[in-house]
Amino acid sequence: MDSVDAVFVPPAAAWMPVSRKLATARRITLSLGYILVAVGGGVIAWSPLPRWWLVGYLIAAVVVYVWAWWVIGRRVAAYGYAERADDLIVVSGILVRRLVIVPYGRMQMVDLRAGPIDRWLGIATVQLHTAAATTDAAIPGLTPLEAAALRDRLAARGEARSAGL
Amino acid sequence: MTDPRRTHALTPLIQAVPAFPVAFVFLLGPGRELIASRGLGVIALTLGGALLGYLGLAAVSWLLWSRRTFWIDTDGDLRVDSGVVERSSRRLQLSRLQSVDIVAPFLARLAGLVEVRVEVAGTSGSHVVLRYLSRADADLLRRMILEFARRTADDVAPEEEPWVNEPDLLASVPQGRLMGSLLLRSVTATLLLLSVLLLVFTAATQGGAGLVLVLITGGLPILSVVGEFLSNYGFRVDRSREGLRIRQGLLSTKTRTIPAERVHAVAVVSPLLWRRRGWVRVTVTIAGVEGDASRSGPEVLIPVAPRAEALALIAEVLPGVDVEALPFVRAPRASRWRSPFAWRTLAVAITPDVIAARYGRMTATTAIAPHSHVQSVRVTQGAWERRLGLASLHADTAPGPVHVVARHLDQALVRPLADQEIALVHRVRRMP
Repeated sequence: MDSVDAVFVPPAAAWMPVSRKLATARRITLSLGYILVAVGGGVIAWSPLPRWWLVGYLIAAVVVYVWAWWVIGRRVAAYGYAERADDLIVVSGILVRRLVIVPYGRMQMVDLRAGPIDRWLGIATVQLHTAAATTDAAIPGLTPLEAAALRDRLAARGEARSAGL
Repeated sequence: MTDPRRTHALTPLIQAVPAFPVAFVFLLGPGRELIASRGLGVIALTLGGALLGYLGLAAVSWLLWSRRTFWIDTDGDLRVDSGVVERSSRRLQLSRLQSVDIVAPFLARLAGLVEVRVEVAGTSGSHVVLRYLSRADADLLRRMILEFARRTADDVAPEEEPWVNEPDLLASVPQGRLMGSLLLRSVTATLLLLSVLLLVFTAATQGGAGLVLVLITGGLPILSVVGEFLSNYGFRVDRSREGLRIRQGLLSTKTRTIPAERVHAVAVVSPLLWRRRGWVRVTVTIAGVEGDASRSGPEVLIPVAPRAEALALIAEVLPGVDVEALPFVRAPRASRWRSPFAWRTLAVAITPDVIAARYGRMTATTAIAPHSHVQSVRVTQGAWERRLGLASLHADTAPGPVHVVARHLDQALVRPLADQEIALVHRVRRMP
């Protein structure tokens, strides 16, 4: 382990990973976004611009698509969380790496949400809210069972530890 | 407990006053052409209409006023009944009181009246404005509300003479210093300097276009300086039993009470142009209690003060914290590649009570949050930071002007610091 990873070292043996289906969901969203790219290509093809514009455009689109595909895989692999006795830790990000530690006693609300693609694939996101807007602790790509169980565990621990201001 | 009562009888007359400006706007706008074509009779007609509108508004306002009563009930809750066609009954649980502010809007002030704003913790509908009351009534009501809030919250027997509460002046801002501080802000000073240069330039070249620019470069800062001067005029902070009491304002005065336990974070801000004079500003994050995080309260503890005076104020809200003696750990030399100007100022300190972060060259800031109000701890590392072996530590607090962010620290230190901070958060949390 080099010193860079020491900053984001897991508290136990390893971070709990999130489902690879999250990558699938994000790649579907990416592909849907490429409908717009196709429209752009059509506009160029119909316009009086020289042909090589279209070729260059298509090459760029494919390169970006492949790159984004690969980044999604890495970003999903970078997600990890760990439930400790008194707090939850979440890590994420590859270019900008983030680690957030949320004490159970500080949680105000635990959200569970899933969009249409998420539901179709069978994944959900658990989001933690504290009184700080900057807390930013979300765990995407959990199976619905996992997600519901995690939410209930978090809510129960939050209640047990909240002093109630 | 009090008997149901109404607000001051002059209320409807004051509330209907906006009918007049509407008439003037009409006269200046669409009415101008009418006057030109039909003669001066239009003015008389409009004024008559305005008067009629005023009386109508006053009548409606009177009806509402006569049906609106407020009192403190036997449970120690503030009750407000109102409505003519549809009656509504509001009930504010004073044990969850968040603030009682006395505000004197311009018109009400002319009549010697004020409004009282009561806020309790909770989601929507946790806010009541009683307008208007006489100054003496408002003060009495405020003290009673605070007294009931304290009594129901602590369940202690009321002392004798519960409302005697001598104010105790902690700090005030002389007008000269306030004006100086407003002029000595970088943006203001730059714009005013630019205006002078523009004026000289226009005079020299005799071109008129520069004057339009002067209107903007000179007008904007003057407007903002005058606005802030009026709102911060006579700023004073008193110690009262319920917390710090802040009074400010010339045209409309505002009184607010900040209980020490509601202070989530404090920042000492020292802008470049103030430093020679040793002035600082103190901003605070006053947050709603649980379930009401979005609402933040007053943000300035003192707009400008000598450093020692400001630190004494901070000692009031963060007892036992000596800002000058915080054990700061500075960012390493490598951070100069990430933050070439401010890197010498970047530092973090963790004491048994608080976490503090220092940052900023132009606007030197020391942000402090007690562990008891830190909501979560974050570590971030951007690509450039990773190359330099740096990472940043954030202590998340409720939304407000204060951000406790220790940037570009040595990455080997950051994770242990984060773990230390979270351990302290847990520890103070467990203590009742």
